[in-house]
Amino acid sequence: MISFATVVERALNGPICTERDFELDIFVPNLRKVVEKYGIKYDPQHPVPADDDLADRVWAAGLEFLGETGVYCLDTERRILFTREEIAGALETGPRGTVFGEGRDAKKMPRRSPEDKTPPWCSVGPTSSPVSSELFYVNLVQAHAENPLGDSITIPCLTTVNGQPIVGGSPLGIEGAIRAVLLTREGMRRAGRPGMPIVNGVTTAAQAQEHIAAHRFGIRNTDALEIGTVHEMKIDFDSLNKIAYSLAAGSLIFAENGVILGGLAGGPAGTAVVTAAYNPVDLLLLRGAVQHPFPTHFDLGVTSARDTIWARSLANQAVTRNSSLPVVNVGYSAAGPMTRMLLYEHSAWVIGSVVSGGSVEVGASARGTALDYTSPMDPLFASEVAHAVAGMRRQEANGIVNALLEKYEAQLRDPPTGQKYQECYDAVSGKPKPEFIELYREVRREMADRFGLQFKHASPYL
Amino acid sequence: MSDESIHQRLSAAIIAGEKDKLSAAIEDALKGGTPPADIIEKGMSPGMKDVGEKFARYEIYLPEMLLAAEAWETAMKILEPKFLEAGTERKKTGRVVLGTVKGDVHSIGKNIVGAMLKMSGFEVFDLGIDIAASAFVTKAEETGADIIAASALMSTTMPQQKSIIEHLEARGERGKYHVLIGGGSTSQEWADSIGADGYGRTAGDAVTLALKAVAK
Repeated sequence: MISFATVVERALNGPICTERDFELDIFVPNLRKVVEKYGIKYDPQHPVPADDDLADRVWAAGLEFLGETGVYCLDTERRILFTREEIAGALETGPRGTVFGEGRDAKKMPRRSPEDKTPPWCSVGPTSSPVSSELFYVNLVQAHAENPLGDSITIPCLTTVNGQPIVGGSPLGIEGAIRAVLLTREGMRRAGRPGMPIVNGVTTAAQAQEHIAAHRFGIRNTDALEIGTVHEMKIDFDSLNKIAYSLAAGSLIFAENGVILGGLAGGPAGTAVVTAAYNPVDLLLLRGAVQHPFPTHFDLGVTSARDTIWARSLANQAVTRNSSLPVVNVGYSAAGPMTRMLLYEHSAWVIGSVVSGGSVEVGASARGTALDYTSPMDPLFASEVAHAVAGMRRQEANGIVNALLEKYEAQLRDPPTGQKYQECYDAVSGKPKPEFIELYREVRREMADRFGLQFKHASPYL
Repeated sequence: MSDESIHQRLSAAIIAGEKDKLSAAIEDALKGGTPPADIIEKGMSPGMKDVGEKFARYEIYLPEMLLAAEAWETAMKILEPKFLEAGTERKKTGRVVLGTVKGDVHSIGKNIVGAMLKMSGFEVFDLGIDIAASAFVTKAEETGADIIAASALMSTTMPQQKSIIEHLEARGERGKYHVLIGGGSTSQEWADSIGADGYGRTAGDAVTLALKAVAK
């Protein structure tokens, strides 16, 4: 694989191009061309497609698109271009079998493929959702770390420091990032899992200096710093700086790509192709140990809509059939905690991802944006679903996902808000309210009785 | 060429986002004696309406919106001098200063809002991403804007929206502009807490709020 220094050199010296021209004269026509050439068409009846040839065409389209388009550097207004040989070289020599975590909590990230029986990696946590208090923060981390299916933790986003709102780029950003890591370590210690890896280091940190500070104060080299591209196929110096630091420090990277369905990638077909194209970008540019995609609906703000599930499932199949870089999908659902709809939404996107070769990061409620609208119960349920469907045929999964979508998709625009953490849990004991446990049991029974899911692990709430 | 035919040609060029074809259609229309106001109202505007409706139905997406908005702006550069020559001026719906706040580089949502505002007849001054609070205010002063619209995706950049309002207050200009906010982590509750005039969860909400603001 070409060196990161070579990539940086191209960011500094590549072909000059305005952002407008990159978007409308290069990105959009190149994408339209490959979508047409490879016959990629959205099929709403099959949110979980089972067409290997289609998946391989998405992959071929993604590679061709990337080769002709490159990545745009916002700070230099230049394109970073990769040859087909360089892309192939990255896929050939990229990381394999990366181990995350320490001691008893160390575990190898599996590479999965569609319909694979290998249990998916489950990262559990509030998935960057904003949390108002340090007490809630530690309680949430502890409860997620106690999830027996949790392989890693995705930490929440602390919003204040000593009552002051955290402003990214300010000293409060530095303090917030450090405190978030220390609180997470404490929550995991209380759960008896001090070596559990953090894979979204560091949510509270917006900028490179905050990542670096958090790394100095508790992010380990067996954790992962989460570093992403800018929508779409763009990068800036701040992200390049994060990568440069991570490489120098020996840190692992979760390479994040949240393609906006409805944005520059257009509809579901373009979104699937761009998501696949990001896989080699995650190797060559972001230097990731994992691809972390989450195609998100531009209007609904979720990954649980029919078209986003289709795009993500198809992109997963394209990538996992052709690349060795593992995929861990993160999901954003619309409904809030302690609602039936949230459990259905989480189930639908998790099933689509897992049978399509992905692992999962479960999962954000209330679109991951509403303060304190997060709970450990919904991700616990989602991780159980993820394990239950490993090895399921895609056709069967498609039937279940269709049935689940029929239950909730009409409500995606105005979903039930549910309850805040401190309402559906006892914030002092960190335990769920009895009615939440009852809802969990009901939907779990429904998933088993109606859809035949065989839950293999003992739940703490049965 | 009949009026109906030229109107269809103008509309089709807008829908396809083809600025060269639109420019050619406008030149032909002007040569044929079609008044500039009719070119806009009977040809281009129905095309824009169609684009907006298709976008709302998820039949087209941001690229088509951007291309249509760009074609519209190109057309207006041809047509506005014609209004001036005739001693008239085409009335804008309003002026909006738009941007993503300091420390935040997310642009897709902002760009969708910008395209939809343009389609609704607003003059949009898009400052881009990572924009300092004072720059929003200065641009609003320069352009005589009606609205300042600020996007923030992350919880750590939301405070910059509050900062815009504080900068306006510091300059004694809070009452001059409607301040609208949006972006992933924001909410009505947040808008109320910082004294913003409106919160839009979606781009459609933003346009509705902007139209209401200038109607006041």
